[in-house]
Amino acid sequence: MDIAKSFNARRLSIAGFSFLFAYILSFPFEGQVLYSLLDLRGIDASTYIMAAIIAHFAGLLTCGLIVRTQAAAKNMLLAGMGFCLAAAVPFFFAPSAAWMAGLIANGYFSGCAVAAWGYFLKAFTPKNERIKSCADVLIYSNLLMIAINVVAVNRSPLFGLGLSMFCLLIGTFFSYIMPLGHQNNQGKVAESKASGGIRNPLLLLCLFVFIITINSGLMYQVINPNFDHLSGLTSWYWAVPYIVALLIIRNLPLKTNRSRILYVGMVMIMGAFISFMLLGRSISDYIIVDTLILGACGIFDLFWWSILGEMLDYSNNSAKVFGLGLSANVLGVLCGGLLGMSVTAIGLPGAQVAVIALTVVCVTLVMLPPLNRQLVLLLKNHTYLAAYDNMSQSQQTDLVRQIKTIEPLTAREQQVLQLILSGKSNRDIADALTISETTVKTHARNIFSKYDVSNRVELISSLLKHQIEK
Amino acid sequence: MELIRRQRNSYFFLSLASICLTVWIATTSLPKAALASGAMSLAFILFLVRQSRLLNDATLIWDNRILAVSSAHISIADNQVEKSTGQIVISTFGMLIGSKIYRWGLDGVHGTRLNAVEIDKEHMYLTFGDADQTMKMELLHGMTQRHAVLETAQKLWHETGVTAGISGW
Repeated sequence: MDIAKSFNARRLSIAGFSFLFAYILSFPFEGQVLYSLLDLRGIDASTYIMAAIIAHFAGLLTCGLIVRTQAAAKNMLLAGMGFCLAAAVPFFFAPSAAWMAGLIANGYFSGCAVAAWGYFLKAFTPKNERIKSCADVLIYSNLLMIAINVVAVNRSPLFGLGLSMFCLLIGTFFSYIMPLGHQNNQGKVAESKASGGIRNPLLLLCLFVFIITINSGLMYQVINPNFDHLSGLTSWYWAVPYIVALLIIRNLPLKTNRSRILYVGMVMIMGAFISFMLLGRSISDYIIVDTLILGACGIFDLFWWSILGEMLDYSNNSAKVFGLGLSANVLGVLCGGLLGMSVTAIGLPGAQVAVIALTVVCVTLVMLPPLNRQLVLLLKNHTYLAAYDNMSQSQQTDLVRQIKTIEPLTAREQQVLQLILSGKSNRDIADALTISETTVKTHARNIFSKYDVSNRVELISSLLKHQIEK
Repeated sequence: MELIRRQRNSYFFLSLASICLTVWIATTSLPKAALASGAMSLAFILFLVRQSRLLNDATLIWDNRILAVSSAHISIADNQVEKSTGQIVISTFGMLIGSKIYRWGLDGVHGTRLNAVEIDKEHMYLTFGDADQTMKMELLHGMTQRHAVLETAQKLWHETGVTAGISGW
């Protein structure tokens, strides 16, 4: 019964968020509806687009400060969607200051609503399933966005706006009937003393997301304008490779090494920029370039969305974690866009612009593997520490004693080991034992040598493996 | 330790001066002289790195001192005996005698280890080494109170895991 309830709640949360996200993608966040409306009225889009992105960034970043419980998250979700609906109404009328105000309100409140959904992703989707829930919302929202884009481009922008608002209305309905209070077991387990240590992995993930997304921003500014003459095709095909990539990754077996897929994405994104330089601007050229670049975006997006989803377990404030991760994405789009705009504004020939863009892409992609490695290490460390932290004091002592070392630890080394296992940094350990940080590092090195491991992660994982084998 | 620090600083300034000299010679189009000066800079940099490592070890030993004495006899396995006076520091990670360092407990299970400690009425005997070489140290510990001896033995056990044998107290 509980499983059935949880499943329904999960489906409701996915449906609610997918409709909300479809609205955001098609309208305030560089959506085709917004572009078409501004184009219809002969208004320069760049100021409006930038204002909406900055407001969306602010909403994502500040939601965690306001929303601290699941009930507050639901209220924020409903209120945010309500404000967005109201703020979209002026776009049915002649352009005025209300357009800019409405767009800023849309950007801000949609950002808040997205961040608040973090609570429901954590509550209704079990830990190992979050990659599927994230893939589902991205797939459904992009499918809906394609439908709205086709209507906005081929029929009427106002009709497209109406359709996107209808999506938001449906999302509001699903969010309204979504239950409160259910918490999956994994979520309960992980709320531990060690949760304070999520800061470093989260910041590293934000850097990772930011670097990945710079390429998307560049793509919007450098590649997309060159295929404006194929608006009929771009309106529906644009996100298709993205959806296909999401579908493939979603259905990969859990054991698959997803880090390796990152390399596939990197090759695809570089291939896209090289193809863009070498090929022409025909339909088949567009299909090649778009398939490579959007496929890579799908790979990268699901990669970091799923890591962000897993990270929700290590914090009590899901809106803060989710909002921070997504705000890094928005910041990346913004910086990539500005970079692309400044490169194109110089008036260089298309080939040179593409070379500059490709250089930026290569530089950013080179940074991904070491960042990914660090992120995996930090997350593993955190997971192990959280599991250790959930044991009682006697269990912890037994665990440490039962494992044979090459040589017995000294009393001082035992003190340092206990503090390492409680998740403390070298600086904290040095302060606690009133010794220097260099001394702590030397003791730690000796401890690792006695356990025949090379770092903290290996040490903690071998301790826990021993516990599981028992 | 001050001597080690002074030497490190000297090498730093020599390296800096030598690099500046190399750059200046290079700009005056004397390639052979620039090459020689560059080689000299490299040598100074290597000395600087070595001395910096020595200073790090000395600082680590100084920060974790257990006992300070003023006289010691050092004997190596082949019966060479050396006498040292001046301040001698015994610590968790080795011994500092003036600018000379004897390390232990710094390189995990495969490095040099403190193996045994004996304390009698006047002397402290330390045995340390690795699989290839063992050294023995005889110190005048200067402790006159039993509780001071016990306290030192307790510190040694806590920090190094070696239980000191106490006799004559």
